[in-house]
Amino acid sequence: MLFRALKGPLSGRLTFPLVCLGVWLLTIELVASIWPFAVDVLPTPWQVAGFMWDEITGNTLAPHNVYQTFWISLQRLGAGMLIAMVVGGVVGLAMGLSKSVNAFFNDWVVAILAMPNLAWALFCSLAFGFGDTGPIIAVVLTGVPYVIINVREGVRNAPSDLYDMARAFGVPRERAIRHVLIPSLMPFLFAAGRYAFALGWKGLVVAEVFGGQDGAGWTIKFWYDAHRAYGVIGYALLFVIFALFFEKFLFDKLSRRIFRWRPEASVAEEAFDQPPAVTTEPQRTPQHG
Amino acid sequence: MSTVTAPSTSPPRRASAEDLARKTERADRLRTWGWRLAGYLFFLGLWEFSSGRLMDENLLPGPSAVFATFADLWATGEVPSAFATTLTRIGIGFFLAFVVGVLVGMLMQNRWLNGFFRDAVTIGITTPGLIWALITAIIFGNREAGPLLAIVLTTFAVITVNVSEGIKSLPKDLIDMAKSFGVGVLKRNRHIVLPHLAPFLFTGVRFGFSIAWKVTVLTEVFSSSSGIGFEMRTATQLFRLPEFLTWILAFYILALFLEKVVLEVIERRFFSWRTSLKA
Repeated sequence: MLFRALKGPLSGRLTFPLVCLGVWLLTIELVASIWPFAVDVLPTPWQVAGFMWDEITGNTLAPHNVYQTFWISLQRLGAGMLIAMVVGGVVGLAMGLSKSVNAFFNDWVVAILAMPNLAWALFCSLAFGFGDTGPIIAVVLTGVPYVIINVREGVRNAPSDLYDMARAFGVPRERAIRHVLIPSLMPFLFAAGRYAFALGWKGLVVAEVFGGQDGAGWTIKFWYDAHRAYGVIGYALLFVIFALFFEKFLFDKLSRRIFRWRPEASVAEEAFDQPPAVTTEPQRTPQHG
Repeated sequence: MSTVTAPSTSPPRRASAEDLARKTERADRLRTWGWRLAGYLFFLGLWEFSSGRLMDENLLPGPSAVFATFADLWATGEVPSAFATTLTRIGIGFFLAFVVGVLVGMLMQNRWLNGFFRDAVTIGITTPGLIWALITAIIFGNREAGPLLAIVLTTFAVITVNVSEGIKSLPKDLIDMAKSFGVGVLKRNRHIVLPHLAPFLFTGVRFGFSIAWKVTVLTEVFSSSSGIGFEMRTATQLFRLPEFLTWILAFYILALFLEKVVLEVIERRFFSWRTSLKA
Protein backbone atom coordinates (compact mmCIF):
# COMPACT_ATOMS: atom_id res chain seq x y z
CA MET A 1 0.00 0.00 0.00
CA LEU A 2 2.69 2.42 1.04
CA PHE A 3 4.89 1.24 -1.80
CA ARG A 4 2.14 1.87 -4.32
CA ALA A 5 1.59 5.37 -2.95
CA LEU A 6 5.31 6.03 -3.28
CA LYS A 7 5.16 5.15 -6.96
CA GLY A 8 2.10 7.31 -7.65
CA PRO A 9 2.01 10.76 -9.21
CA LEU A 10 1.29 12.49 -5.91
CA SER A 11 4.60 11.53 -4.38
CA GLY A 12 6.33 12.69 -7.56
CA ARG A 13 4.49 15.94 -7.30
CA LEU A 14 5.67 16.39 -3.73
CA THR A 15 9.23 15.45 -4.68
CA PHE A 16 9.49 18.16 -7.32
CA PRO A 17 9.86 21.16 -4.96
CA LEU A 18 12.32 19.20 -2.83
CA VAL A 19 14.49 18.41 -5.86
CA CYS A 20 14.30 22.04 -6.94
CA LEU A 21 15.47 23.10 -3.50
CA GLY A 22 18.29 20.58 -3.60
CA VAL A 23 19.47 21.72 -7.02
CA TRP A 24 19.29 25.32 -5.86
CA LEU A 25 21.44 24.71 -2.76
CA LEU A 26 23.89 22.55 -4.71
CA THR A 27 24.28 25.26 -7.34
CA ILE A 28 25.09 27.82 -4.67
CA GLU A 29 27.66 25.50 -3.10
CA LEU A 30 29.24 24.83 -6.48
CA VAL A 31 29.29 28.42 -7.68
CA ALA A 32 30.55 29.70 -4.35
CA SER A 33 33.45 27.26 -4.43
CA ILE A 34 34.47 28.37 -7.95
CA TRP A 35 33.76 32.10 -7.79
CA PRO A 36 33.44 33.15 -4.15
CA PHE A 37 32.48 36.69 -5.10
CA ALA A 38 29.38 35.53 -7.00
CA VAL A 39 27.49 34.61 -3.84
CA ASP A 40 25.48 37.81 -3.61
CA VAL A 41 24.08 37.14 -7.08
CA LEU A 42 22.75 33.73 -6.07
CA PRO A 43 20.42 34.15 -3.10
CA THR A 44 19.72 31.26 -0.76
CA PRO A 45 16.19 29.88 -0.42
CA TRP A 46 16.07 31.22 3.16
CA GLN A 47 16.80 34.75 1.95
CA VAL A 48 14.02 34.49 -0.62
CA ALA A 49 11.62 33.00 1.91
CA GLY A 50 12.45 35.75 4.39
CA PHE A 51 11.90 38.37 1.72
CA MET A 52 8.54 36.87 0.75
CA TRP A 53 7.47 36.70 4.39
CA ASP A 54 8.34 40.38 4.82
CA GLU A 55 6.40 41.24 1.69
CA ILE A 56 3.34 39.27 2.71
CA THR A 57 3.30 40.82 6.17
CA GLY A 58 3.53 44.24 4.53
CA ASN A 59 7.01 45.06 5.81
CA THR A 60 8.72 46.22 2.62
CA LEU A 61 11.36 48.61 1.38
CA ALA A 62 9.44 49.29 -1.83
CA PRO A 63 7.14 52.35 -1.90
CA HIS A 64 3.97 50.21 -1.77
CA ASN A 65 3.38 46.86 -0.14
CA VAL A 66 2.38 43.79 -2.15
CA TYR A 67 -1.35 44.20 -1.72
CA GLN A 68 -1.38 47.83 -2.86
CA THR A 69 0.98 47.00 -5.72
CA PHE A 70 -1.09 44.13 -7.07
CA TRP A 71 -4.29 46.11 -6.53
CA ILE A 72 -2.94 48.97 -8.65
CA SER A 73 -1.99 46.51 -11.39
CA LEU A 74 -5.34 44.75 -11.15
CA GLN A 75 -7.17 48.04 -11.60
CA ARG A 76 -5.17 48.75 -14.74
CA LEU A 77 -5.78 45.22 -15.96
CA GLY A 78 -9.50 45.58 -15.30
CA ALA A 79 -9.76 48.88 -17.13
CA GLY A 80 -7.79 47.55 -20.09
CA MET A 81 -9.81 44.34 -20.22
CA LEU A 82 -13.09 46.24 -20.13
CA ILE A 83 -12.06 48.36 -23.11
CA ALA A 84 -10.72 45.29 -24.91
CA MET A 85 -13.95 43.35 -24.31
CA VAL A 86 -16.14 46.20 -25.57
CA VAL A 87 -14.05 47.01 -28.65
CA GLY A 88 -13.30 43.35 -29.37
CA GLY A 89 -16.95 42.39 -28.86
CA VAL A 90 -18.18 44.95 -31.38
CA VAL A 91 -15.52 44.20 -33.98
CA GLY A 92 -15.78 40.45 -33.46
CA LEU A 93 -19.57 40.56 -33.83
CA ALA A 94 -19.27 42.52 -37.07
CA MET A 95 -16.58 40.18 -38.36
CA GLY A 96 -18.63 37.11 -37.58
CA LEU A 97 -21.73 38.50 -39.28
CA SER A 98 -20.20 39.91 -42.45
CA LYS A 99 -17.58 38.43 -44.75
CA SER A 100 -16.54 41.84 -46.01
CA VAL A 101 -15.90 43.22 -42.54
CA ASN A 102 -13.97 40.07 -41.79
CA ALA A 103 -11.73 40.58 -44.82
CA PHE A 104 -11.28 44.21 -43.83
CA PHE A 105 -9.99 43.51 -40.34
CA ASN A 106 -8.63 39.96 -40.45
CA ASP A 107 -4.98 40.57 -41.39
CA TRP A 108 -4.68 43.40 -38.91
CA VAL A 109 -6.06 41.32 -36.09
CA VAL A 110 -3.49 38.62 -36.88
CA ALA A 111 -0.76 41.26 -37.06
CA ILE A 112 -1.65 42.70 -33.66
CA LEU A 113 -1.91 39.19 -32.25
CA ALA A 114 1.60 38.24 -33.32
CA MET A 115 3.23 41.45 -32.11
CA PRO A 116 5.42 40.88 -29.04
CA ASN A 117 4.06 42.73 -26.01
CA LEU A 118 7.54 44.16 -25.50
CA ALA A 119 6.93 46.27 -28.60
CA TRP A 120 3.64 47.59 -27.22
CA ALA A 121 5.22 48.22 -23.84
CA LEU A 122 8.16 50.21 -25.18
CA PHE A 123 6.01 52.08 -27.65
CA CYS A 124 3.35 53.00 -25.06
CA SER A 125 5.97 54.11 -22.55
CA LEU A 126 7.53 56.42 -25.11
CA ALA A 127 4.34 57.68 -26.68
CA PHE A 128 2.18 58.11 -23.56
CA GLY A 129 4.80 58.73 -20.91
CA PHE A 130 4.83 57.31 -17.39
CA GLY A 131 1.53 56.72 -15.66
CA ASP A 132 -1.68 54.80 -16.17
CA THR A 133 -2.40 55.46 -19.85
CA GLY A 134 0.53 53.54 -21.32
CA PRO A 135 -0.01 50.27 -19.41
CA ILE A 136 -3.77 50.35 -19.97
CA ILE A 137 -3.32 50.79 -23.70
CA ALA A 138 -0.77 47.98 -23.69
CA VAL A 139 -3.36 45.70 -22.04
CA VAL A 140 -5.98 46.68 -24.62
CA LEU A 141 -3.61 46.01 -27.50
CA THR A 142 -2.50 42.60 -26.20
CA GLY A 143 -6.00 41.49 -25.23
CA VAL A 144 -8.19 42.76 -28.04
CA PRO A 145 -7.21 40.27 -30.80
CA TYR A 146 -8.11 37.30 -28.57
CA VAL A 147 -11.50 38.79 -27.77
CA ILE A 148 -12.16 39.48 -31.45
CA ILE A 149 -11.23 35.97 -32.56
CA ASN A 150 -13.27 34.29 -29.84
CA VAL A 151 -16.37 36.41 -30.37
CA ARG A 152 -16.15 35.84 -34.11
CA GLU A 153 -16.00 32.10 -33.58
CA GLY A 154 -18.94 32.36 -31.21
CA VAL A 155 -21.08 34.20 -33.75
CA ARG A 156 -20.12 31.73 -36.46
CA ASN A 157 -21.04 28.81 -34.24
CA ALA A 158 -24.36 30.31 -33.18
CA PRO A 159 -27.17 27.75 -33.43
CA SER A 160 -29.03 28.98 -36.52
CA ASP A 161 -31.70 26.29 -36.18
CA LEU A 162 -32.68 27.70 -32.80
CA TYR A 163 -33.09 31.14 -34.37
CA ASP A 164 -35.25 29.69 -37.09
CA MET A 165 -37.38 28.00 -34.51
CA ALA A 166 -37.65 31.16 -32.43
CA ARG A 167 -38.75 33.06 -35.52
CA ALA A 168 -41.23 30.38 -36.51
CA PHE A 169 -42.79 30.46 -33.07
CA GLY A 170 -42.92 34.25 -33.09
CA VAL A 171 -40.59 34.80 -30.16
CA PRO A 172 -39.86 38.52 -29.77
CA ARG A 173 -36.41 39.69 -30.75
CA GLU A 174 -35.27 40.67 -27.25
CA ARG A 175 -36.20 37.30 -25.86
CA ALA A 176 -34.45 35.51 -28.70
CA ILE A 177 -31.32 37.50 -28.02
CA ARG A 178 -31.59 36.93 -24.28
CA HIS A 179 -32.29 33.19 -24.47
CA VAL A 180 -30.52 32.09 -27.65
CA LEU A 181 -27.75 34.44 -28.67
CA ILE A 182 -26.31 35.30 -25.27
CA PRO A 183 -26.22 31.74 -23.90
CA SER A 184 -24.58 30.51 -27.10
CA LEU A 185 -22.03 33.33 -27.00
CA MET A 186 -21.30 32.93 -23.29
CA PRO A 187 -18.64 30.20 -23.44
CA PHE A 188 -16.80 32.08 -26.16
CA LEU A 189 -16.97 35.33 -24.23
CA PHE A 190 -15.72 33.53 -21.17
CA ALA A 191 -12.81 32.01 -23.06
CA ALA A 192 -12.09 35.45 -24.51
CA GLY A 193 -12.05 36.96 -21.03
CA ARG A 194 -9.75 34.27 -19.78
CA TYR A 195 -7.31 34.78 -22.62
CA ALA A 196 -7.47 38.54 -22.35
CA PHE A 197 -6.76 38.20 -18.65
CA ALA A 198 -3.82 35.81 -18.91
CA LEU A 199 -2.13 37.57 -21.81
CA GLY A 200 -3.15 41.06 -20.79
CA TRP A 201 -1.48 40.40 -17.45
CA LYS A 202 1.76 39.46 -19.18
CA GLY A 203 1.52 42.54 -21.37
CA LEU A 204 0.70 44.77 -18.43
CA VAL A 205 3.71 43.61 -16.43
CA VAL A 206 6.08 44.36 -19.28
CA ALA A 207 4.44 47.73 -19.88
CA GLU A 208 4.80 48.64 -16.22
CA VAL A 209 8.48 47.76 -16.26
CA PHE A 210 9.11 50.38 -18.91
CA GLY A 211 6.35 52.89 -18.49
CA GLY A 212 4.93 52.62 -14.98
CA GLN A 213 5.40 54.57 -11.79
CA ASP A 214 4.01 51.80 -9.60
CA GLY A 215 2.38 48.41 -9.95
CA ALA A 216 3.66 44.84 -10.01
CA GLY A 217 5.91 45.14 -13.05
CA TRP A 218 7.42 48.36 -11.78
CA THR A 219 8.14 46.82 -8.38
CA ILE A 220 9.99 43.80 -9.76
CA LYS A 221 12.06 46.22 -11.82
CA PHE A 222 12.64 48.19 -8.62
CA TRP A 223 14.28 45.14 -7.02
CA TYR A 224 16.15 44.44 -10.24
CA ASP A 225 17.54 47.98 -10.32
CA ALA A 226 18.49 47.70 -6.64
CA HIS A 227 20.37 44.53 -7.66
CA ARG A 228 18.62 42.43 -5.04
CA ALA A 229 18.47 39.00 -6.63
CA TYR A 230 16.44 37.63 -3.72
CA GLY A 231 13.94 40.42 -4.27
CA VAL A 232 13.56 39.60 -7.96
CA ILE A 233 13.15 35.87 -7.32
CA GLY A 234 10.82 36.42 -4.37
CA TYR A 235 8.65 38.77 -6.38
CA ALA A 236 8.66 36.35 -9.28
CA LEU A 237 7.29 33.67 -6.95
CA LEU A 238 4.59 36.08 -5.83
CA PHE A 239 3.72 36.52 -9.51
CA VAL A 240 3.43 32.76 -9.95
CA ILE A 241 1.17 32.49 -6.89
CA PHE A 242 -0.99 35.35 -8.17
CA ALA A 243 -1.36 33.84 -11.63
CA LEU A 244 -2.11 30.37 -10.26
CA PHE A 245 -4.68 31.81 -7.88
CA PHE A 246 -6.59 33.46 -10.71
CA GLU A 247 -6.16 30.70 -13.28
CA LYS A 248 -6.86 27.63 -11.18
CA PHE A 249 -9.02 28.94 -8.44
CA LEU A 250 -11.08 31.90 -9.55
CA PHE A 251 -11.65 31.13 -13.22
CA ASP A 252 -12.39 27.47 -12.64
CA LYS A 253 -14.93 28.35 -9.95
CA LEU A 254 -16.44 31.07 -12.08
CA SER A 255 -16.76 28.91 -15.17
CA ARG A 256 -18.40 26.16 -13.12
CA ARG A 257 -20.86 28.69 -11.78
CA ILE A 258 -21.71 30.27 -15.12
CA PHE A 259 -22.04 26.99 -16.97
CA ARG A 260 -23.95 25.14 -14.28
CA TRP A 261 -26.91 24.81 -16.61
CA ARG A 262 -24.94 22.84 -19.14
CA PRO A 263 -24.52 19.07 -18.90
CA GLU A 264 -20.77 19.37 -19.45
CA ALA A 265 -18.67 22.51 -19.51
CA SER A 266 -16.66 22.24 -22.68
CA VAL A 267 -15.54 25.81 -23.08
CA ALA A 268 -14.22 26.41 -26.56
CA GLU A 269 -10.62 27.16 -25.91
CA GLU A 270 -8.46 27.16 -28.95
CA ALA A 271 -4.78 27.76 -28.72
CA PHE A 272 -4.04 30.66 -30.97
CA ASP A 273 -0.70 31.76 -29.74
CA GLN A 274 0.00 29.89 -26.57
CA PRO A 275 -2.03 27.09 -25.14
CA PRO A 276 -2.37 28.31 -21.57
CA ALA A 277 -5.31 26.09 -20.82
CA VAL A 278 -3.52 22.83 -21.55
CA THR A 279 -2.78 20.91 -18.41
CA THR A 280 -1.49 17.43 -18.20
CA GLU A 281 -3.95 16.27 -15.64
CA PRO A 282 -7.12 14.50 -16.71
CA GLN A 283 -10.23 16.65 -17.02
CA ARG A 284 -12.08 16.87 -13.76
CA THR A 285 -15.76 16.27 -13.94
CA PRO A 286 -17.25 19.76 -13.93
CA GLN A 287 -20.67 19.04 -12.48
CA HIS A 288 -20.96 18.60 -8.76
CA GLY A 289 -23.60 19.38 -6.18
CA MET B 1 -14.64 6.55 -59.69
CA SER B 2 -18.34 7.16 -60.00
CA THR B 3 -17.81 10.91 -60.25
CA VAL B 4 -16.03 10.44 -63.58
CA THR B 5 -19.10 8.95 -65.23
CA ALA B 6 -21.63 11.32 -63.71
CA PRO B 7 -21.12 14.42 -65.94
CA SER B 8 -21.77 12.47 -69.18
CA THR B 9 -25.46 12.03 -68.26
CA SER B 10 -26.26 15.76 -68.43
CA PRO B 11 -23.25 17.70 -69.67
CA PRO B 12 -24.77 21.08 -70.65
CA ARG B 13 -26.76 21.79 -67.49
CA ARG B 14 -23.97 20.68 -65.21
CA ALA B 15 -21.39 22.80 -67.04
CA SER B 16 -23.54 25.90 -66.74
CA ALA B 17 -24.17 25.28 -63.05
CA GLU B 18 -20.46 24.81 -62.56
CA ASP B 19 -19.79 28.00 -64.49
CA LEU B 20 -22.25 29.89 -62.37
CA ALA B 21 -20.74 28.54 -59.18
CA ARG B 22 -17.28 29.46 -60.41
CA LYS B 23 -18.43 32.92 -61.36
CA THR B 24 -20.02 33.64 -58.00
CA GLU B 25 -16.97 32.23 -56.33
CA ARG B 26 -14.74 34.52 -58.35
CA ALA B 27 -16.90 37.53 -57.55
CA ASP B 28 -16.82 36.54 -53.92
CA ARG B 29 -13.07 36.27 -53.91
CA LEU B 30 -12.74 39.60 -55.73
CA ARG B 31 -14.95 41.29 -53.18
CA THR B 32 -13.02 39.76 -50.30
CA TRP B 33 -9.76 40.93 -51.75
CA GLY B 34 -11.22 44.37 -52.35
CA TRP B 35 -12.24 44.65 -48.70
CA ARG B 36 -8.92 43.31 -47.59
CA LEU B 37 -7.11 45.94 -49.67
CA ALA B 38 -9.44 48.57 -48.25
CA GLY B 39 -8.46 47.42 -44.79
CA TYR B 40 -4.78 47.81 -45.57
CA LEU B 41 -5.34 51.24 -47.09
CA PHE B 42 -7.49 52.32 -44.17
CA PHE B 43 -5.11 51.27 -41.41
CA LEU B 44 -1.92 52.39 -43.13
CA GLY B 45 -3.64 55.65 -44.03
CA LEU B 46 -4.83 56.10 -40.45
CA TRP B 47 -1.32 55.49 -39.19
CA GLU B 48 0.20 57.91 -41.69
CA PHE B 49 -2.51 60.48 -41.01
CA SER B 50 -2.22 60.37 -37.22
CA SER B 51 1.51 60.90 -37.23
CA GLY B 52 2.03 64.62 -37.10
CA ARG B 53 -1.68 65.44 -36.93
CA LEU B 54 -3.27 63.53 -34.04
CA MET B 55 0.01 62.78 -32.30
CA ASP B 56 3.42 64.33 -32.37
CA GLU B 57 5.52 63.21 -35.31
CA ASN B 58 8.32 62.21 -32.96
CA LEU B 59 5.98 60.09 -30.89
CA LEU B 60 4.30 58.29 -33.77
CA PRO B 61 6.32 58.22 -36.97
CA GLY B 62 4.24 57.18 -39.97
CA PRO B 63 4.94 54.21 -42.24
CA SER B 64 6.81 56.34 -44.75
CA ALA B 65 9.14 57.59 -42.02
CA VAL B 66 9.72 54.00 -40.89
CA PHE B 67 10.64 52.96 -44.43
CA ALA B 68 13.03 55.87 -44.77
CA THR B 69 14.68 54.95 -41.46
CA PHE B 70 15.01 51.35 -42.55
CA ALA B 71 16.87 52.48 -45.67
CA ASP B 72 19.20 54.59 -43.49
CA LEU B 73 19.84 51.73 -41.08
CA TRP B 74 20.45 49.33 -43.93
CA ALA B 75 23.00 51.73 -45.37
CA THR B 76 24.98 51.73 -42.10
CA GLY B 77 25.30 47.93 -42.32
CA GLU B 78 24.10 47.26 -38.76
CA VAL B 79 21.00 45.39 -39.80
CA PRO B 80 22.38 42.03 -41.02
CA SER B 81 24.76 41.59 -38.09
CA ALA B 82 22.10 42.39 -35.48
CA PHE B 83 19.65 40.02 -37.19
CA ALA B 84 22.29 37.31 -37.39
CA THR B 85 23.13 37.64 -33.68
CA THR B 86 19.51 37.39 -32.60
CA LEU B 87 18.67 34.58 -35.00
CA THR B 88 21.65 32.54 -33.79
CA ARG B 89 20.51 32.99 -30.22
CA ILE B 90 16.98 31.94 -31.10
CA GLY B 91 18.32 28.95 -33.01
CA ILE B 92 20.50 27.62 -30.19
CA GLY B 93 17.99 28.39 -27.45
CA PHE B 94 15.09 26.91 -29.33
CA PHE B 95 17.04 23.77 -30.16
CA LEU B 96 17.85 23.28 -26.47
CA ALA B 97 14.23 23.95 -25.52
CA PHE B 98 13.08 21.42 -28.09
CA VAL B 99 15.41 18.73 -26.75
CA VAL B 100 14.41 19.41 -23.15
CA GLY B 101 10.73 19.59 -24.05
CA VAL B 102 10.73 16.29 -25.92
CA LEU B 103 12.75 14.57 -23.19
CA VAL B 104 10.40 15.75 -20.44
CA GLY B 105 7.39 14.83 -22.57
CA MET B 106 8.74 11.30 -22.96
CA LEU B 107 9.62 10.98 -19.28
CA MET B 108 6.13 12.10 -18.32
CA GLN B 109 4.71 8.79 -19.50
CA ASN B 110 5.88 7.33 -16.21
CA ARG B 111 3.28 7.96 -13.53
CA TRP B 112 5.71 9.11 -10.87
CA LEU B 113 7.61 11.39 -13.24
CA ASN B 114 4.30 12.70 -14.53
CA GLY B 115 3.53 13.98 -11.05
CA PHE B 116 7.10 15.20 -10.74
CA PHE B 117 7.04 17.35 -13.86
CA ARG B 118 3.41 18.42 -13.75
CA ASP B 119 3.97 21.57 -11.73
CA ALA B 120 7.08 22.37 -13.73
CA VAL B 121 5.00 22.38 -16.90
CA THR B 122 2.24 24.49 -15.32
CA ILE B 123 4.78 27.01 -14.08
CA GLY B 124 6.53 27.03 -17.45
CA ILE B 125 3.29 27.83 -19.24
CA THR B 126 1.89 30.46 -16.86
CA THR B 127 5.01 32.44 -15.91
CA PRO B 128 5.57 35.54 -18.04
CA GLY B 129 8.80 35.56 -20.04
CA LEU B 130 9.67 38.87 -18.39
CA ILE B 131 10.28 37.13 -15.08
CA TRP B 132 12.73 34.65 -16.54
CA ALA B 133 14.39 37.46 -18.45
CA LEU B 134 14.93 39.48 -15.26
CA ILE B 135 16.09 36.52 -13.15
CA THR B 136 18.57 35.30 -15.74
CA ALA B 137 19.76 38.84 -16.34
CA ILE B 138 20.49 39.41 -12.66
CA ILE B 139 22.23 36.04 -12.24
CA PHE B 140 24.16 35.75 -15.49
CA GLY B 141 24.73 39.40 -16.33
CA ASN B 142 25.48 39.80 -20.01
CA ARG B 143 26.86 36.28 -20.48
CA GLU B 144 25.44 34.23 -23.31
CA ALA B 145 23.94 31.61 -20.99
CA GLY B 146 21.28 33.97 -19.61
CA PRO B 147 19.12 34.43 -22.70
CA LEU B 148 19.49 30.77 -23.61
CA LEU B 149 18.24 29.65 -20.21
CA ALA B 150 15.34 32.10 -20.42
CA ILE B 151 14.34 30.72 -23.83
CA VAL B 152 14.47 27.13 -22.59
CA LEU B 153 12.41 27.90 -19.48
CA THR B 154 9.65 29.74 -21.36
CA THR B 155 9.44 27.42 -24.36
CA PHE B 156 9.99 23.84 -23.21
CA ALA B 157 6.57 23.46 -21.57
CA VAL B 158 4.64 24.05 -24.81
CA ILE B 159 6.64 21.35 -26.56
CA THR B 160 6.30 19.00 -23.59
CA VAL B 161 2.52 19.33 -23.57
CA ASN B 162 2.31 18.53 -27.26
CA VAL B 163 4.71 15.61 -27.10
CA SER B 164 2.98 13.99 -24.16
CA GLU B 165 -0.41 14.44 -25.84
CA GLY B 166 1.03 12.75 -28.91
CA ILE B 167 2.46 9.84 -26.96
CA LYS B 168 -0.78 9.39 -25.06
CA SER B 169 -2.69 8.95 -28.33
CA LEU B 170 -0.27 6.50 -29.94
CA PRO B 171 -2.11 3.80 -31.87
CA LYS B 172 -1.60 0.88 -29.50
CA ASP B 173 -3.31 -1.65 -31.76
CA LEU B 174 -0.95 -0.88 -34.63
CA ILE B 175 2.06 -1.26 -32.39
CA ASP B 176 0.72 -4.52 -30.98
CA MET B 177 0.13 -5.82 -34.46
CA ALA B 178 3.62 -4.86 -35.54
CA LYS B 179 5.00 -6.58 -32.46
CA SER B 180 3.11 -9.77 -33.08
CA PHE B 181 4.25 -9.81 -36.70
CA GLY B 182 7.83 -9.51 -35.48
CA VAL B 183 8.63 -6.02 -36.75
CA GLY B 184 11.85 -4.74 -35.20
CA VAL B 185 12.06 -1.89 -32.73
CA LEU B 186 13.76 0.51 -35.14
CA LYS B 187 11.34 -0.17 -37.94
CA ARG B 188 8.40 0.12 -35.56
CA ASN B 189 9.54 3.52 -34.38
CA ARG B 190 10.31 4.69 -37.88
CA HIS B 191 7.01 3.66 -39.42
CA ILE B 192 4.45 3.91 -36.64
CA VAL B 193 5.63 6.09 -33.77
CA LEU B 194 7.37 8.88 -35.69
CA PRO B 195 4.66 9.45 -38.30
CA HIS B 196 2.11 9.58 -35.52
CA LEU B 197 4.12 12.02 -33.41
CA ALA B 198 5.15 14.30 -36.27
CA PRO B 199 2.04 16.53 -36.31
CA PHE B 200 2.23 17.02 -32.54
CA LEU B 201 5.90 17.90 -32.81
CA PHE B 202 5.19 20.41 -35.54
CA THR B 203 2.45 22.07 -33.52
CA GLY B 204 4.85 22.29 -30.59
CA VAL B 205 7.55 23.77 -32.79
CA ARG B 206 5.25 26.40 -34.24
CA PHE B 207 3.87 27.50 -30.86
CA GLY B 208 7.28 27.26 -29.30
CA PHE B 209 8.95 29.34 -31.97
CA SER B 210 6.37 32.11 -31.67
CA ILE B 211 7.14 32.30 -27.95
CA ALA B 212 10.89 31.84 -28.30
CA TRP B 213 11.59 34.76 -30.59
CA LYS B 214 9.63 37.15 -28.39
CA VAL B 215 11.46 36.06 -25.27
CA THR B 216 14.80 36.33 -27.01
CA VAL B 217 14.20 39.94 -27.92
CA LEU B 218 12.98 40.63 -24.39
CA THR B 219 16.09 39.16 -22.77
CA GLU B 220 18.27 41.10 -25.15
CA VAL B 221 16.65 44.29 -23.97
CA PHE B 222 17.81 43.62 -20.43
CA SER B 223 21.08 41.80 -20.70
CA SER B 224 22.74 41.89 -24.10
CA SER B 225 25.14 44.20 -25.84
CA SER B 226 24.21 43.06 -29.33
CA GLY B 227 21.16 41.94 -31.28
CA ILE B 228 17.73 43.36 -32.04
CA GLY B 229 16.69 43.81 -28.43
CA PHE B 230 19.84 45.75 -27.66
CA GLU B 231 19.28 48.04 -30.65
CA MET B 232 15.70 48.59 -29.55
CA ARG B 233 16.79 49.51 -26.04
CA THR B 234 19.39 51.93 -27.38
CA ALA B 235 16.82 53.54 -29.65
CA THR B 236 14.29 53.96 -26.82
CA GLN B 237 16.89 55.37 -24.45
CA LEU B 238 17.86 57.94 -27.05
CA PHE B 239 14.15 58.61 -27.65
CA ARG B 240 14.46 57.72 -31.32
CA LEU B 241 11.03 56.30 -32.02
CA PRO B 242 11.45 55.95 -35.78
CA GLU B 243 14.54 53.80 -35.25
CA PHE B 244 12.84 51.76 -32.54
CA LEU B 245 9.78 51.11 -34.69
CA THR B 246 11.96 50.19 -37.63
CA TRP B 247 13.93 47.62 -35.66
CA ILE B 248 10.92 45.96 -34.14
CA LEU B 249 8.86 45.97 -37.33
CA ALA B 250 11.70 44.63 -39.46
CA PHE B 251 12.34 41.79 -37.06
CA TYR B 252 8.65 41.16 -36.60
CA ILE B 253 8.20 40.74 -40.33
CA LEU B 254 11.16 38.36 -40.50
CA ALA B 255 9.86 36.30 -37.57
CA LEU B 256 6.38 36.12 -39.05
CA PHE B 257 7.89 35.03 -42.34
CA LEU B 258 9.80 32.23 -40.61
CA GLU B 259 6.78 31.23 -38.55
CA LYS B 260 4.03 31.36 -41.12
CA VAL B 261 5.85 30.68 -44.38
CA VAL B 262 9.02 28.69 -43.76
CA LEU B 263 7.72 26.39 -41.04
CA GLU B 264 4.48 25.87 -42.91
CA VAL B 265 6.29 24.96 -46.13
CA ILE B 266 8.49 22.50 -44.25
CA GLU B 267 5.43 21.01 -42.62
CA ARG B 268 3.61 20.67 -45.91
CA ARG B 269 6.61 19.05 -47.52
CA PHE B 270 6.94 16.69 -44.59
CA PHE B 271 3.33 15.67 -44.86
CA SER B 272 3.27 15.44 -48.63
CA TRP B 273 2.60 11.72 -48.29
CA ARG B 274 -0.65 12.60 -46.56
CA THR B 275 -2.05 14.87 -49.24
CA SER B 276 -1.11 12.31 -51.86
CA LEU B 277 -3.12 9.81 -49.88
CA LYS B 278 -6.08 12.15 -49.88
CA ALA B 279 -5.87 12.86 -53.61
